[in-house]
Amino acid sequence: MEDVIVTMAGQLGPALVVLGAALSVGFAGSGSAWGIGIANEAAAGILTEDPKKFIYALILLALPGTQGIYGFLTALLAINKIGLLSTAVPITIWQGLGIFGACMPIAIVGFYSAIWQGKSSAASILLISKRPDQMGKAVILPAMCETYAVLGLLMSIFLLNGIKVG
Amino acid sequence: MPRSGNYGYAVARIRAMEPLLLDAGFIQRMLEADGLAGALKVLGETCYGKALSGNAAQERYDAALEAELLSTFMELRAFVPDKDLVDLLRIQYDFHNVKVLLKSSFLAKSGGRKRWELMTGLGTIQADGLIVSIESEDYNLLPWGLSALIPAALAIWEQTRDIVEVEKVLDGGLFAAMLKIAEDLEMPGILAWVRARIDSENIRNLLRLKRFGMDAQKASSFLHQGGAVSAGTLAQLIAEPFEGWGRAIAYTDIGAAVSGVHDGGDFDTLIVSLEKALDDYCRDVLALARYSQDAPENVLAYLWGKEMEIKNIRTVLVSKGSPAGRDATERMLRNGY
Repeated sequence: MEDVIVTMAGQLGPALVVLGAALSVGFAGSGSAWGIGIANEAAAGILTEDPKKFIYALILLALPGTQGIYGFLTALLAINKIGLLSTAVPITIWQGLGIFGACMPIAIVGFYSAIWQGKSSAASILLISKRPDQMGKAVILPAMCETYAVLGLLMSIFLLNGIKVG
Repeated sequence: MPRSGNYGYAVARIRAMEPLLLDAGFIQRMLEADGLAGALKVLGETCYGKALSGNAAQERYDAALEAELLSTFMELRAFVPDKDLVDLLRIQYDFHNVKVLLKSSFLAKSGGRKRWELMTGLGTIQADGLIVSIESEDYNLLPWGLSALIPAALAIWEQTRDIVEVEKVLDGGLFAAMLKIAEDLEMPGILAWVRARIDSENIRNLLRLKRFGMDAQKASSFLHQGGAVSAGTLAQLIAEPFEGWGRAIAYTDIGAAVSGVHDGGDFDTLIVSLEKALDDYCRDVLALARYSQDAPENVLAYLWGKEMEIKNIRTVLVSKGSPAGRDATERMLRNGY
């Protein structure tokens, strides 16, 4: 019985890391897809009337996509830390829990900021439909949401770096 | 919750269509143009050009304007998630057609001529189908409550021979149908707009009735139910001088619109100013939605803007063939979208 508990404890650490990595990719990626979907509706609307605005619309609707990339990057760092891509490094439950927690900032912030950035991008797409000369401002407005996704990514990276394994 | 919540595409497409609406500067250009031919030439440079070329004769500009409005209705109906939202503005034309047909049938019975040419194709019911329904007295399949309203209107005509009473029943039916559509849509902004339309119509009616010296009791039968301000409250205004109306209903949203209209002593000028203020009020009810990228009110705001644009074009074109001065024409022009 004792052996079983020791074996489970040995596997729970890596399992928590995998769960954290999966959630950071899953949540941040879902948020990005959702946000891009919202911006896409607006883009399709203006492109129906004015296809020449495709490049403007493409730039704006791509903005909510960055959170998905941040989530993917965090997941890579997390699984690389325990050697899942090369030689496995043994970790404790507490180390696994720490890495799981480190993945959460980008998972949560990435999800919500991508959706709101999508709405913001959609509003900016409406702005350029009438005033294409205001493209600079139209990009800056949804980029404000990006600040918090970047903060979430940085915090996840700092936390991952702060956890010593091996 | 709205019946359909996804208006992101529709609103974006409407935003992209907005630059095609004619601004006040363009209407001024038409006003300054030399005669009807000059004004039509200026209009031909716009999206109306295609419709105008299909109706080459100058006198046919009305058909061109109707064709353009119908094409706008159809275009929006194709991509707006709730088709009823577009129909909300179209059913007034169904009721107009019913009035034309009923009056024609009354005229025909007394040896007059049927005036079917006054019907419009802007309604939701095909004009031919409506003619067949009314001529064959088969109203069962007519929408918007017309299946019950037409027999009621005919009964009133038989009893009173009073066309005003018939119109009263049909107008009441129109606003009841609009209210029903708005309630079914479950969109608060749309319901507020329909209530604003009813209030506007009631106040417009009230001013006309005041001219005939009608009292509050008689006037209340001409007012429609369902507005933001109760018909009973509005009916009491008829005893007051017009200057006091805005103050008396200052606690309502429409009060400010009425307060902004000044009675210069001339009824014709007053009614024109009031109608303009009330149309602006209906536009302003939807104004806040302009800041939202997915508010369904934007659909109504655009269609209302298009109707006002066509009203302005028609005013300018009619003024070219009438002795009305330019100042009088300018006073009649509605503010744009």
